Amino acid sequence: MRTIALFTCVIVAGFSVGAYAATEVIHQQGRVFSAESVSIKKGDAVTFLNDDSVPHNIMSATKGNEFNLGSQAPGTSTDVTFKEAGDVQVICAIHPRMKMMVKVTD
Amino acid sequence: MPAPGSYRSCIVAGTVASAVLGALGFSTIGYGAAVVGESRKVEITQKAPSGIDALKAQYRRPASIPFPKDNPYTPEKAALGKKLYFDTRLSVTSAQSCASCHSPGFGWGDGLAVGVGHGMAKLGRHSPTIVNAAWSAIFMWDGRLPTLEDQALGPIQSPGEMNMKLDDLMARLASIPEYKPMFEASFPGQGIKAKTLAQAIATYERTVVSERAPFDVWIEGNEKAISEQAKRGFAVFNGKAQCAACHEGWNFTNEGFQDIGLPSSDIGRGEYLPAVIKMQHAFKTPGLREINRRSPFMHDGSLATLEAVIDHYDHGGVDRPSRSDLMRPLGLTAQEKAELVAFLKTLTSDLEPTAVPVLPR
Repeated sequence: MRTIALFTCVIVAGFSVGAYAATEVIHQQGRVFSAESVSIKKGDAVTFLNDDSVPHNIMSATKGNEFNLGSQAPGTSTDVTFKEAGDVQVICAIHPRMKMMVKVTD
Repeated sequence: MPAPGSYRSCIVAGTVASAVLGALGFSTIGYGAAVVGESRKVEITQKAPSGIDALKAQYRRPASIPFPKDNPYTPEKAALGKKLYFDTRLSVTSAQSCASCHSPGFGWGDGLAVGVGHGMAKLGRHSPTIVNAAWSAIFMWDGRLPTLEDQALGPIQSPGEMNMKLDDLMARLASIPEYKPMFEASFPGQGIKAKTLAQAIATYERTVVSERAPFDVWIEGNEKAISEQAKRGFAVFNGKAQCAACHEGWNFTNEGFQDIGLPSSDIGRGEYLPAVIKMQHAFKTPGLREINRRSPFMHDGSLATLEAVIDHYDHGGVDRPSRSDLMRPLGLTAQEKAELVAFLKTLTSDLEPTAVPVLPR
């Protein structure tokens, strides 16, 4: 029984690592993106984690990589997978000082 | 002291709400090429300021005014900008200046519910104060202009406001002999242009800073500077009422856009971000400095007193999809409301009189 439990733990842990391995995590605490810029490969994801005390509305209007997370409550994490190469300007629609660039390469 | 319990319960409520929103919103988000995955609930820890001193430190006045690198301060430019700001000849009728709607007599607003423009016609929104504009990240109630220089030229040209074509204005200013040497001293070799006009006015506007108020004296350590009631109001402001979620920092704004549930048909920021639900009916959060001199309040001037403003927030406003998730009934007691008003009144300084400049002829 203990072996099965341990085995399950290893499998779950493995999945978790797999799920996060290719993902840059961008924090939003204090109404600031944790990085001004991140570079990723086309098809990879960026995780937008609202670890702030207020809702954010992360989005991009950059052609080919548009997205809009809508109101993202504190304690919410959302992955965005970028399909087109290029520089993607990401903003918070609510807080105009929050700006960052996702550089997507082929 | 803010009530940490209320903050925590808000975060818990927010987390639950996010899970629901995530489940509901998944099918509606992701309208472009980037693919939005499902939202997950995550345990987070808030770095709330530990104690009243840490909280007060967040409200300390800055030591200097920020000027942009591409339009640095010079005394000549600020002096020219002040003359232009108060010069009614910047409007087509020669009857209105910047100061007509942004007057030092009314906390650098106009004391009216909505502004009055060309031909004495009412405008759609309340004239915002220009106090502390140097610290703004974005301009106009709907955020349509990115810099103070751009903002300075907006009302001059707007047909509903000063209604002055820039080419005509340059010709008019060039015909006033005493302006030429002032432009030359401020902008050597550049002449009287829309760009130099905007830079001069913006430079002057950046010098309009709220002076030390009783609140600042308290922040600096004088416990007698404000009443005990106002101190309790500061705690309510940062705690139960959550005012500081938007009205944060020394100028009491994070420049964010929120629909606070006022029953107005004006979509505000939504005009520029039509696909973003939360930007419909959203307006820029104003700072709260010199607030006693700036009634009536809100983007539409619809609330006459601070008491009415607090009642609005306590009620939560019109519940609609665009309304900020921070807006909800607060359950403030009459005592807490009075404490909030007492606190807000400590943000007004004894403004020095502003001398109207002698204008070039």
